[in-house]
Amino acid sequence: MRAPNEIDFWRGFALVTIFVNHIPGIYFERFTFRNVSLSDSAELFVFLAGCSLRILVDGAARTMPEQWLIFRLEARAFHVYVAQIFVTELAIALLAAAAFFLDAPYLLDWHNASAVFNDAVKAHIGLVLLTHQLGYFNILPLYVVLLFIAPAITLLHRHTAAFLPLISFLIYAWALISGTNLPTWPVEGTWFFNPFTWQLIYVLGFLLAGKDGIGGIARRNHSVLRWLAAPAVLLGAIVALTDFSPDTVSVPEPKLLFLFDKTFLSPARLIHSLALTAMFAGSFKIIAPWIPRFSEYLCLLGRNSLNVFCALSLLSLMGQLLRFIFGGHVASDAAIVILGLLLMGIIAWAAEWRERLRAKLANKPLPPPHSHSPGF
Amino acid sequence: MSPPCDVPAADIAAPATLPNVMQAMQKGEKVRILAIGSSSTLGSGASSKNRSYPAQLEAILERALKGVDIVVVNRGVAGEVAETTAERIKSEVALKKPDLVLWQLGTNDAIARIAPQDFEKTVRSTVNWLKDNGIDVVLVGVQYTPRLARDPNYIAIRESLQKIAANENILYVHRYDAMRFIAQTRANLQLLSGDNFHLNDLGYQCMAEHVAHAVIVSLYVKRTRPVHN
Repeated sequence: MRAPNEIDFWRGFALVTIFVNHIPGIYFERFTFRNVSLSDSAELFVFLAGCSLRILVDGAARTMPEQWLIFRLEARAFHVYVAQIFVTELAIALLAAAAFFLDAPYLLDWHNASAVFNDAVKAHIGLVLLTHQLGYFNILPLYVVLLFIAPAITLLHRHTAAFLPLISFLIYAWALISGTNLPTWPVEGTWFFNPFTWQLIYVLGFLLAGKDGIGGIARRNHSVLRWLAAPAVLLGAIVALTDFSPDTVSVPEPKLLFLFDKTFLSPARLIHSLALTAMFAGSFKIIAPWIPRFSEYLCLLGRNSLNVFCALSLLSLMGQLLRFIFGGHVASDAAIVILGLLLMGIIAWAAEWRERLRAKLANKPLPPPHSHSPGF
Repeated sequence: MSPPCDVPAADIAAPATLPNVMQAMQKGEKVRILAIGSSSTLGSGASSKNRSYPAQLEAILERALKGVDIVVVNRGVAGEVAETTAERIKSEVALKKPDLVLWQLGTNDAIARIAPQDFEKTVRSTVNWLKDNGIDVVLVGVQYTPRLARDPNYIAIRESLQKIAANENILYVHRYDAMRFIAQTRANLQLLSGDNFHLNDLGYQCMAEHVAHAVIVSLYVKRTRPVHN
């Protein structure tokens, strides 16, 4: 397995944060960084996915013929799609079992699941088309779209590098100005993570992870960027602590440009997330020696992020059900968090153990260090 | 109100002003209402989409307020806690620009064991944001269901809603009291579907009538209030 690195470390950090934040009301939610931050782990996660794509494209896939690269990325998109369908089905079964055994029909409603039971014909079509998403199970559909367009991002970068940030930004601006988002069906609404706007942070991750172009400029001027980022990070903390949100009356049209909206990744959230990245990029080398075991644990999670993400989605749902059964007490909440983090670690370890075993059986050398999967 | 849904006015809501809706009506403009919340807004348990409470509310309000064009947009997502709805409200408001937001909430927070003080903080901050945006807000409370009537979290969340509405001086539809009145006085009437939790078509009809009654009475109070010079 690849050596601990910064991307895996922060991805592991984001996974831990997402697990806790996906159990609404849990006591330890108050210690996650979104309480002192305008943006949250969702932005961090998508940004890191973009970084991983670039590391793959510039590294292991550098000499790969383009048609193979396209095939590999689309296969990965399909893999994530299958994971989304599988995890959603398990979540539905979990809710159904809880509702049945606890005689609590209201659990069938949780996280937008009710259409699956009350409007089964349409909802099953929607689940496959990703137009019906369960609450807290709505990040993977965004990833599927991002990985689906990953070949276009890669080819655009290889052949007309200057157009990639321009096109990505224009799509972002158009979606923000026009309020365009993908619709949900059969439940009338829109995607929680708008792919038209969230693609920008993915592309920015891709660009900034490179050693040339925008990434090169950012690396050379990192100390300046860090100084520039400091006020934005501070402002984001003040906004979060004071619960400030601009009102739509006082801001001009198009209003989404000025709000702190998560669905549309409003500019304020995007800028704040980039500022956080500038602030903490490179800090892995300082942090890791202080918390070596925990750092290794986070890297382990980060290396196996798709497996861990699927597991944490289900574990957080189980955590919610346990809170429903036993009530929300600090002690039981602590047990849920400890058990959840432990299981996430075991699942990541098991995934690597399986890989090692497979390599051993095939009598093949282990994958080279620093090889990355695109996205997860 | 129709005979099956008729309840004393005190069991529905204490009137509160709806200045933005009034203003839109006085200007002869379309009144845009955003109905947001969870399964009771979505219409889980109803026989069809047009039996949901927001769909019925639009027809009732247009009948009662003759000549006023009312548009109700349904943005119910089943099983959602207030914190997630609060996130959605912001973009929905920016895009739909409603005059009135009907926010049905509370049940899922009680089931998810959200601490009442955290729930209160989320709701209060969103209500204030809506007020700052010049949007009227109506809180539509939790339903009466024997399954949860004695649940301490359910009781605590219901009390929180009452407190928020009183402190923020906003219209609050006491759905629990209205439904309990019907359950206690008309035992032969079923407002809940087979699972004894979700509303059935009659339940949604009554919910729409109760919300409409609360809105109309609040508009009427405003209209007849003497103007002080």
